[in-house]
Amino acid sequence: MVHPTNKLKEQTEEEILLELKDVEMNFGKVCALTGVNLKIRKGEIHSVIGPNGAGKTVMMNIINGLYRPQKGDIFFKGKKINRVKPYKRAKMGMARTFQKVEVFGGMTVLDNIRLGRHTHYKSGIFSGSVYAGKTRREEIKHRTFIEEEIIDLLEIESIRDHPVGMLPYGLQKRVELGRALALEPDLLILDEPLAGLNLEEVEDMARFILDINEEKRWKVTCLLVEHDMGVVMDLSDHVFVLNFGNTIIDGTPKEVQDNPEVIKAYLGEEDLYATRR
Amino acid sequence: MSTTFLPCGDYHQGYAEDHAWFQTKFIKGKMIALFLVLFVFIPISYWGSIFQSAFNIDNYWFSLIIRYISVFGADEYWISVFNMVGYTILGALGVQLLIGYCGQLTLGHGAFIAVGAYTSTLLILEFPWPEFMITLGLAYPVSIFIAGIMAGLFSVLFGLPSARVKGFYLILTTMAAQFILVDFVITQYVSQIGGRGQAFSLPPGTIKIGPWLIDNNYKVYFFMLILVILSCIIISNLVRTRVGRAWVAIRDNDISAEVMGINVIKYKLLAFFVAGFIGGITGSFWISNLAAISPEHFPWFLSLWLVGVILIGGVGSIHGAIFGSLFMVVIMELLQLAVIPLADTYPKLLMDFLFIKEATFGLAICGFLIFEPNGMAYRWWQIKNYFNLWPFSY
Repeated sequence: MVHPTNKLKEQTEEEILLELKDVEMNFGKVCALTGVNLKIRKGEIHSVIGPNGAGKTVMMNIINGLYRPQKGDIFFKGKKINRVKPYKRAKMGMARTFQKVEVFGGMTVLDNIRLGRHTHYKSGIFSGSVYAGKTRREEIKHRTFIEEEIIDLLEIESIRDHPVGMLPYGLQKRVELGRALALEPDLLILDEPLAGLNLEEVEDMARFILDINEEKRWKVTCLLVEHDMGVVMDLSDHVFVLNFGNTIIDGTPKEVQDNPEVIKAYLGEEDLYATRR
Repeated sequence: MSTTFLPCGDYHQGYAEDHAWFQTKFIKGKMIALFLVLFVFIPISYWGSIFQSAFNIDNYWFSLIIRYISVFGADEYWISVFNMVGYTILGALGVQLLIGYCGQLTLGHGAFIAVGAYTSTLLILEFPWPEFMITLGLAYPVSIFIAGIMAGLFSVLFGLPSARVKGFYLILTTMAAQFILVDFVITQYVSQIGGRGQAFSLPPGTIKIGPWLIDNNYKVYFFMLILVILSCIIISNLVRTRVGRAWVAIRDNDISAEVMGINVIKYKLLAFFVAGFIGGITGSFWISNLAAISPEHFPWFLSLWLVGVILIGGVGSIHGAIFGSLFMVVIMELLQLAVIPLADTYPKLLMDFLFIKEATFGLAICGFLIFEPNGMAYRWWQIKNYFNLWPFSY
């Protein structure tokens, strides 16, 4: 099986994977997003930052299909996906993790990751109920993939049979990442993957994100929402800054760091004054 | 859902071994022993009489031996109790699949059992089967299958609201199934078909699978065993493959299930279909044990009872459905046996036994929710692990 991302080399760096055009989203009179334009190129790590309540998660939900924007278009791999349901977007190669971990607590780690591969499994209700021949081979094939590619990468061998609900928060986040990876996505939306982790876990997680972005096996394009500025500036190729639903800047980390608007949004006038002094 | 630990020294060397049914030789041995107990030792008196008539033995000593052996098996009364257990297991498996695995609360499963029973009965009694089907005894097996499909379709129909509503609201919409199907459609209209009045009697000789005439409790018992084993195998296979994982995912977190590529509505309705299918098969199995069926066999209390059974047995495990059914039915029988000797002094006890039964049912659920909220299956899991990990359980 040739993995779609393996063809990456032949394609130009500048190919656009996901595009938002003038997206607008209101909840009643609250404008969550106004006129947002975003272009994510294949193979990059694109971060979205902004103060609390800036509309980052709303943006992720729109990309993911959980919300439908009032105005504007979303293009994924050149196709307009405004009306495509979330589960179909997953089939197109879009996976995500959530800000507040949304793992399947009653299932084991292995089953969680297997579930991430749902779109790759083929067995149906009849072949599944017999569990012989094709289904058995399929289960073993995917099990091999999960063990060798994902569990090995994320270093969760020792907990593979534990119910996820009983694991500590950091490991749950890791399992959630594994589940999203199991989909073999082209675009991976990471909604605050580092929130609530301790320093060591943050370092691990940052390493995993770099691994899946850069390793030849994966080459996954990442859309990262994060508050940890150090990590964001180190990891990302591009940073998109959002404040109260408005775009402030979309540029390289250096450009963002130097932008006075960004500093204003984050630190407020007083502190800006203080830093100048 | 978590896996049972293997005893120290048992290792798997490949994924196939880890996915196997019987993971060690010891487990395989235990299962063979269980099969022997179920098929040979419990109905031993039936095998004795078969043996006697097959070889035409008319020996005093031989019959004496047979009679002594039969003491260890179950007599006709206990076999009928076990049939009741099997019926409850089959019904509870459907509820388990919906509540325990897919998280769709249902209180109308009795209606789908009724649909199955009535479909099967009507097909046997009213459908103009070709002559060869009757002589080959195919009418009943075919009707079981059709009853399953019918009940599944009705289940999907009443499961449609699950696309929109969750939890308590879904309970109400599934309860509607009970009142619309059983109390209205079946009682008012279906019962009029053929002009028999309220109850449909099933003449002896109609319940026939191939050449095998199901006409006594022992035969119903074997039929029940086969059905229970088949549906346990099917459900446990389903929940460990793609479809079942999708169900459990919907139970645990439907939003992230949808994000991971699961068509939530489709899988919910699929769960309703499979649960209804099993319900239909349960119903059409149960007519083999009855001389006549009437709507009173499928009251709303049956649906509630089945939910109680899986609460006691353990939600989200097949063991739970089995243990719960065993517990509820056998406890009730023991209670009855305990009450009968008291009946001379307290005649009211026997008169009001139905109320005692219901009170015990409620009390058992309360007790389990307080002292063992994970059900008997969880305790079983703990016991197994205790022995597997002994003496170092950490």
